[in-house]
Amino acid sequence: MTKDLRECRLEDLPGPKSKQELDEMRMPYEDYCKAVFAPGHEMSKPEALKGIRWLSTTMYIFTPHSVANLAELGAEVIKVEMPRMGDPMKHTSPFNEAYLYPLHDTRPMTGTGYGFTSANVNEYYLSMDYHLPEMKEAFYRLIKMSDGLTECYRPGTFDRWKQSYRFVQELNPRFIYVWGGGFGYGPKCFGGSYDILGQAHAGLASVTGMHEFMGGHCTKHSNWCIDWYSGTQITFGILAALHWRAKTGLGTMIEFSQVQAATRVLGHAAPMYGRFGIVRQRWGNWDTQLCVHGIILCGKSDFPDAINPQDKFEARYAMVSAFQDKDFKALCDVIKKPDMYSKYMKHKDRVEGEAQVDIYAELEDWAKDKSRAEVVRILQSEGLLCEPVMNDREVYESEHYRTRGTVRWMEDPLFGDVLVQGTYSAGLMSQTPRRQYWIWRPVGADNVKIYHEMLGYPISTVKEWYDKAWI
Amino acid sequence: MIEAKGLTPRQFLDKVLEPEKESDHICWQCEFLKPVIKGSSFPPADIIGWCMKIHWPYYWCVADFNVVKKCYVFKQKG
Amino acid sequence: MCDIIWCKKTQADGKPCETVNYLDPYCFWNWKGNINCAHCGTVYAIHMIQGHMYKGPDEQPAGTKPDTSPLYADKPLEGYINYPSGMEGRTRPFHCLPRHIYLGVPDMVKFSIRGKPLRGWRPQPKSAGIAGQFPYNWEMEKLSPEVAAEYKEKIAKGEVKEW
Ligand code: SF4
Ligand SMILES: [Zn+2]
Repeated sequence: MTKDLRECRLEDLPGPKSKQELDEMRMPYEDYCKAVFAPGHEMSKPEALKGIRWLSTTMYIFTPHSVANLAELGAEVIKVEMPRMGDPMKHTSPFNEAYLYPLHDTRPMTGTGYGFTSANVNEYYLSMDYHLPEMKEAFYRLIKMSDGLTECYRPGTFDRWKQSYRFVQELNPRFIYVWGGGFGYGPKCFGGSYDILGQAHAGLASVTGMHEFMGGHCTKHSNWCIDWYSGTQITFGILAALHWRAKTGLGTMIEFSQVQAATRVLGHAAPMYGRFGIVRQRWGNWDTQLCVHGIILCGKSDFPDAINPQDKFEARYAMVSAFQDKDFKALCDVIKKPDMYSKYMKHKDRVEGEAQVDIYAELEDWAKDKSRAEVVRILQSEGLLCEPVMNDREVYESEHYRTRGTVRWMEDPLFGDVLVQGTYSAGLMSQTPRRQYWIWRPVGADNVKIYHEMLGYPISTVKEWYDKAWI
Repeated sequence: MIEAKGLTPRQFLDKVLEPEKESDHICWQCEFLKPVIKGSSFPPADIIGWCMKIHWPYYWCVADFNVVKKCYVFKQKG
Repeated sequence: MCDIIWCKKTQADGKPCETVNYLDPYCFWNWKGNINCAHCGTVYAIHMIQGHMYKGPDEQPAGTKPDTSPLYADKPLEGYINYPSGMEGRTRPFHCLPRHIYLGVPDMVKFSIRGKPLRGWRPQPKSAGIAGQFPYNWEMEKLSPEVAAEYKEKIAKGEVKEW
């Protein structure tokens, strides 16, 4: 210890004293990650967006998801729904199977469908018919107290109701206003949108599925991937707008067209057309730039005795990647087709369409008397990249995801035991991780909290509005 | 309904895909042309169709103003 | 575009079969092969080009094996008699059929697949709150004592797991 306590020497500090000691004390990377990310302990950490209040007058998946992203990161999100009805998405469930009751106080026999899952987590549920003149005051007061709003009505609707950016900017110049919808301004301004329209109109569906010569048709993804994707793109816009506001103090209007957003994921499509007049085509489970780099069908299912058809019939696909010369040679040796290697020694040659047809046919021919697991094991033992195409059950069983907390059970305060995957699949953060407090709440569940406790309306007024179905 | 009597599959297909345009391209005699069909308002007006061979599996837009007279992969349609 | 095969094959009772077999474009757009009538099993050869019937339907000798089956078939002259998709040997097999409970009635379960209780069946008690409020967490003992009791049994039987 030095005499002068203000002096600080390395030897006196706790921790390693030399580079060698440092290396000895350092945890293995794996342990370090487990410690800093600590899946399951998210709730004890701070939230990055705490202090941000966002209004969500959104429906379905696309715009709601843009806001759910904020709520998972700690923003206080108020979802404003139609009185007694709620978001239309609450009335959808895959094959009409799964509902959670109740939807609303007055409708004990109506439930909220699983279609609503993951797009509205952690939000407060307010009901309000904001287009009524009587409710304008409450709506404007919410605007003044919030940082932003996301809406999804036809372009100009909020303008007609005097609550578009032009109006709210006067109430709150720091306000960030998001319109998210189908086409945006332009010749098709009044077209609404769904995910399927985004996939179709943006040109995405035309390059999904098998090529025409294999009998393929344009295909939409079974899930609404463009809704989820576009919503996330809006969230980026919001975070950038918040950063800009921190610098300038001013709000922003974000106008986000879903059909436009989906063109971004088309990669080389437009530049290629612009240069040569070539139209990108579907290429199914293979790859246009790399070969071998695709999904093949194996002869036997891994679970021939399962009851679930997804296991019994479908557990037969494996993805294989061996596009480097060395890997491709190894692959050809495994499947005992060395002549295929001599024929397509250069990647330039094997990536050609005709070559791919040839190569994948040989691969599937080799796999036709093997199960998926056998194919994976054989190729992996040769050091090649090969993984089974997993279904939901296998994702649930996957030890990798359990370790990382990607898929996990949670106790929803209202609905009990729920298996969730959305929040925790969107990346880990050591300091301010995403988290899920509740999956959703019934329509108007937070009316008293917002109208009475936050805006200060007397309970009698809240009750009166409720009886008139204004809220 | 299209009368199939006496037509080869290819001749039948040509009737189904009745083209919008006429031109001097040799592509009209080629197996690999996929024509813009009659009455299409989409795609752009300045192509006669798509070549399914040259950039296969991608399709190449065959422009009407740039007449293809000679082609290294031309194949007489059957 | 959806073409059909209207089967007129004379049946044992001397009457024609009169079954309409639907050829959905997804499978038959460009297709050549044999297909069975969903009702009487007569096999027809067809060749479709670009969604149009180029050749056929031509009846094949008895015993010919069909390559595939129609998506769906019905007998329009006899009212609403039909063969929905997924009937082995008649219409095209479709393995991922909805579960047998698919009757438009939601499936109400009180326990998750790992055996822990979940709330959300109907009818639910109305909330005790104001204006749609749900001012409580779900306390199983109070809100659904019968589920709480069943849960205790499950724990005792070792039916509750972590995953
Ligand atoms: S292969 Fe040549 S001739 Fe045939 S369509 Fe293409 S460009 Fe025209
Ligand atoms: Zn018949």
